Amino acid sequence: MARIAEGDESAFEILVNRHQTSVLNLIYRIIGDRTRAKDLVQEVFLRVWQSARSYEPKAKFTTWIYRITANLCLNELKSAHRRRWFSFHHSNEDSENTIEETLSDGAPSAEDLLLAKERSRQIANALQSLPENQRMALILKRYDDLSYQEIARVISCSVSAVESLLVRAKRSLQEKLKNYEK
Amino acid sequence: MKCSKVQKKLSAYQDGELKPGERDKVTMHLQDCQVCCKQYAELDRVWQTLGELQEIHPDPWFYRQVVRKIKEPREQGLLPALHHVFWLFRAPVAVSIILIIGLVAGSYLGSLLARCDLFPFQNNPLSDSRGTFFTSMRVFDPAPPGTPAEGYFRMVSYKENDSR
Repeated sequence: MARIAEGDESAFEILVNRHQTSVLNLIYRIIGDRTRAKDLVQEVFLRVWQSARSYEPKAKFTTWIYRITANLCLNELKSAHRRRWFSFHHSNEDSENTIEETLSDGAPSAEDLLLAKERSRQIANALQSLPENQRMALILKRYDDLSYQEIARVISCSVSAVESLLVRAKRSLQEKLKNYEK
Repeated sequence: MKCSKVQKKLSAYQDGELKPGERDKVTMHLQDCQVCCKQYAELDRVWQTLGELQEIHPDPWFYRQVVRKIKEPREQGLLPALHHVFWLFRAPVAVSIILIIGLVAGSYLGSLLARCDLFPFQNNPLSDSRGTFFTSMRVFDPAPPGTPAEGYFRMVSYKENDSR
């Protein structure tokens, strides 16, 4: 980060290559829209570049970048909610780039592909139905393996709040994925 | 340890967030209690299920896109801010514009109709000219000489001149 603060583009390239996949997937899982996720991940790294001079290594770098990501995702979810509110054309057809549409990549046969798509759809729907904070805490724990302390820093709440968010999120998912069969 | 207490701690146990002493107690309880063990197995099943959500991959030219974004000039100045404010208040602004247009068009029409004697009550011999006067918006014209209004305006202007 010190090198990036001095304007070293090669250091920035290393950082981008190291974190782009995890940041992209974090955004994608939170907002559930691939196209918007790809736009937002650029915005995250733009902010990293712009804030490099003011960066103080108090916590892990991933916690810092995930915090930027979480804030952007929350803003995106709010503006998406506003867009839906004012849009007269909102319908289920808008799901062109949503999470369930893109998860069947790489399935070997048509039958497997359909099955994988259906499974992914169920998981994605269950995840998207969680409240924002619960979803964020759960994703950070399940897919990024952050500790409660780190999650608390990312979503700006206490460790006990993270614990209770995760308990509630897991309970909801248990209920929603009750009929899910492998 | 009681079942209710263990069940509250199952999530933290699964996430490896319990202190070593507590963790051992929960482990021992799970070995003996079928109900809690079943609940933990269900929690674990859901956790494994979530793992089936596949990863997506960034475009190969992602870094170049970021660099381009960094180098492109950002929107600056008052215009984007004004645009944002307008977007926030677009509904009240639209209503205000419609009201103003309605008022101006209404007063123009009223004045036009009154001038052409097209109001229905104008043909009624019982009606006086006050109806026409108000609907035509002539109330905003300068006060006619000899009326109390004209006297009031004269008084006000006299005071103003006097104070100077």
